[in-house]
Amino acid sequence: MTKVTGHISAEEFLAQLRRYQKGSISRRQFLGVTGLGLATAVLSSAVPGFRPRKAHAALSGTVNFTTWPSYFAQENLDNFTKETGVKINVAVFGSNEEMLAKLQAGSTGWDVFVPTNYAISTYKELGLIEELDLKRLPNYDASTQEQRFTAEGVIDGKTYAVPKDWGTTGFVYNNKNITQNPTSWKEFFDLTQGPWTGRVMVHDYQLTTIGNALKYHGFSFNSNDEKELAEAEKLLIACKPHLFGINSDYKPSLISGDAWASVCWTGDATQLQRDMPEMKYVLAKEGGEIWSDFYAIPKGGQNVDAAYALIDYLLTPEINAKEVQAHGYPSTDSRTNKLVPKEMLENPILYPAAELLSPLEFGAAATLTNPLRAEIMARFKAA
Amino acid sequence: MRVYLVLVYVFLYAPIALIVGGSFNAGKQAMIWQGFSLEWYGKAFSNPLITEALGTSLYIALATAAISSVLGLMAALGLERVKGWLRTFFDALIYIAIMVPGIVIGISTLIAFVSIFELVNPALTATFNIRLQMGSWAVIAAHVLFNIAVVALLVRARLQGMDRSLVEASEDLYATPFGTFRQIVLPLLAPAVLAGFLLAFTFSFEDFIIAYFVAGPDVTLPIYVFSSIRRGVTPEINAVGTVVLVTSLLLLVIAQLILQRGNQARVRADG
Amino acid sequence: MQDYRHSRWITAALLAPAGVFFVFLLILPLVVVLVYSFGARAPAGGYEAAFTFDNYLNLPARGKAFFNTLTLAPLGTLLTAIAAFPVAYILALKTDPKWRVTLLVLIMAPFWTSQLLRYYAWIMLLGSKGIPSWLAYIGIADLRIINTPTAVLIGAVYGFLPLMVPPIYVSLEKLDKRLLEASADLGATPLRTFFQVTLPLALPGVATGSMLVFILLMGDYILPQYLGGGKVFFIGNALVDLFLQSRNWPYGAAVSVALVLIMFLTISLYMRFILSRTDKRRAALV
Repeated sequence: MTKVTGHISAEEFLAQLRRYQKGSISRRQFLGVTGLGLATAVLSSAVPGFRPRKAHAALSGTVNFTTWPSYFAQENLDNFTKETGVKINVAVFGSNEEMLAKLQAGSTGWDVFVPTNYAISTYKELGLIEELDLKRLPNYDASTQEQRFTAEGVIDGKTYAVPKDWGTTGFVYNNKNITQNPTSWKEFFDLTQGPWTGRVMVHDYQLTTIGNALKYHGFSFNSNDEKELAEAEKLLIACKPHLFGINSDYKPSLISGDAWASVCWTGDATQLQRDMPEMKYVLAKEGGEIWSDFYAIPKGGQNVDAAYALIDYLLTPEINAKEVQAHGYPSTDSRTNKLVPKEMLENPILYPAAELLSPLEFGAAATLTNPLRAEIMARFKAA
Repeated sequence: MRVYLVLVYVFLYAPIALIVGGSFNAGKQAMIWQGFSLEWYGKAFSNPLITEALGTSLYIALATAAISSVLGLMAALGLERVKGWLRTFFDALIYIAIMVPGIVIGISTLIAFVSIFELVNPALTATFNIRLQMGSWAVIAAHVLFNIAVVALLVRARLQGMDRSLVEASEDLYATPFGTFRQIVLPLLAPAVLAGFLLAFTFSFEDFIIAYFVAGPDVTLPIYVFSSIRRGVTPEINAVGTVVLVTSLLLLVIAQLILQRGNQARVRADG
Repeated sequence: MQDYRHSRWITAALLAPAGVFFVFLLILPLVVVLVYSFGARAPAGGYEAAFTFDNYLNLPARGKAFFNTLTLAPLGTLLTAIAAFPVAYILALKTDPKWRVTLLVLIMAPFWTSQLLRYYAWIMLLGSKGIPSWLAYIGIADLRIINTPTAVLIGAVYGFLPLMVPPIYVSLEKLDKRLLEASADLGATPLRTFFQVTLPLALPGVATGSMLVFILLMGDYILPQYLGGGKVFFIGNALVDLFLQSRNWPYGAAVSVALVLIMFLTISLYMRFILSRTDKRRAALV
């Protein structure tokens, strides 16, 4: 922070104040020269509301924020811009593979992005993300996080990513059109090839699409066994002509009524159900995926200060609670959960029953990077 | 026949009506009408990300159009002067530039540049502390490629229809070579160059796929639109689309008026 | 005077900038792609030096994408030409000259609104709340268009009509009307005049427009992505997936090389066909 320069005469103080008012020196310089920086620092640690504004004093420019579709509260981003003057450029992606591909190709210009638990170790190995300086994230508190969701952000004792929220991967269906009451991946894929033909969507993402096809056969979501993958591929290719589309952004088609069912993440189900109570979210009884998403800073970011400020802002419990209400994914932070309306905490989409949660698996790093899986997905799409 | 023409215009303008209509929608979702409003125009043009993307796209398109018009014109004039293998070689280059699909141009530019950067960046960073990276300049380079070929073909078609006797007459009158070029050749070729400039501008301004691969951290308008469609379209984007359409229509009308006046003047002078 | 006309320096100066551009930004990158196409995928994705034909041997795994592109791109081009010809014909021969240019500009104008937004608008028009819901009123129920090859073809005609009409219009406008009158005077039926006089003379324009549209369709990504919904898969989609999803650069390079070779082959066959059909001098302009 600012260097404290000791005492300063009244004249000198006024001269500096005038310079600051004219804009010839920055606020930061002014605070430093006059020693007010120290006072501000002391004050700000005492008054919580004061903290963010001081930290933002030196911020400017744009922060490039790469995340998933409908995964933030626009209101929060707007307020961040209002408070700090930093513009936020949001780009959304359909899969961790797509993010990885962009980062590998280089020069993305991203400042903050949102990797999923199993992707972080790969980013670290490839040297694509920065180790986080937790001192610059005063609003993050590891002790209030649920450990099973935060573990993969820390590698060899160093923190590379801080948790955003967690969720599950099930499927959603519209019970106005669908009367079968499906409860399993078996039914999901079988009915796709029957009465639901032309009305079902799967993700444009190998990890979930292949993973759920593996669950159909009772294999592990993370299986990398060639024979098991071959069976999953056969199922997917058999379903292909019956699908409405292959897209990770499936909400618009479900809302317009073109699609009746889709592989679906927690928050999308929450958001859909808000306006369309006929949308039912199912965690299949065979199991499927449980995951957590993180904030991370890629190597070579242009606006690292703003990146830290944005992450810190979004992790502030009051702000994070607004995030949760907008995107509909449960937070990993117990402080945030205290601020979330009760009906959300009781919503079974966000907090499924224990017997449905227990068969779920966390995705593994090898599941993401297995070239055979990538090729199977590509063959399925091209089929 | 008239009916067919009307149907074609309906076909062409129905989606555009949807876009323009959406831009006046008071509601947040592009698809559900909630009353008339101009607020999205204000929002769009006070959104720095949109204005920056628009600026980047205009800059890329103008640079592409200017560079490819000049280089294309020069290439066409140069080609008039050569025969044999050099000519065959250049003709081949022009056809390759036109034939290779944009997506392959994007991919090949990306992997070639990324490979070169990997080779030179360590040294550059060590000595000058700079790093080469993809960006608008790479988009311009990749766009110019295709458009040089377009301009060269257009100018060549015009050259072939040109009356050589004018050039000879000018030379007989002891005009300097540059004088002949400026006073005779250039005015005759101007329409072809202008058409090439406009085409290059349009192709560049509309391109998504090449920029998607090589723009690096820079955001062009099509990339911004692509990202907003993924994010869920708000009428902001419709407002930008509408403004771009109206502006280009206005420019076309102005251009046409100028051309017409020019023609009339010429007719009068001839008479 | 003679000096300047034959000066090699001036010739070189005129050709050099474009030549440098072509060699360094077209030929060199294409050579890099060719080299990559014999390489291997690095374990985490990307490229690793190797010499193997595996990527080429694996091309049949994208057979469907090649098949889709090679059927839908020519079909889309053909449909666009069929839709565009009457428009150009009416504008060039049956319209008051005062309105011609304005009407032509109106055909081209959609091209200046974002292509992405226009296709996005078609997603709404072709979705079940759009045209199919109107058709349901007249008894055509449960029509599904979006995410089918039909939707992609509609999009192709829509997207490329503005590029197809102008060249046909130009060739028809140049057409000497006296030829048509002579043909009629000699007792030819209008239909016969059309097929024996008008159409052959308009062919260069049709050929130019078709080639342009064909090239753009062959490498298209947005159209099949938006209106095909990931179900109608083009080579363009396969390439985007290989580079921006599964990170298999060498295989993507091989698919690119195959696409470029297909382009060369089809276009040179096409040019030969057109040349054999038309006045050679005119076709040279194409």
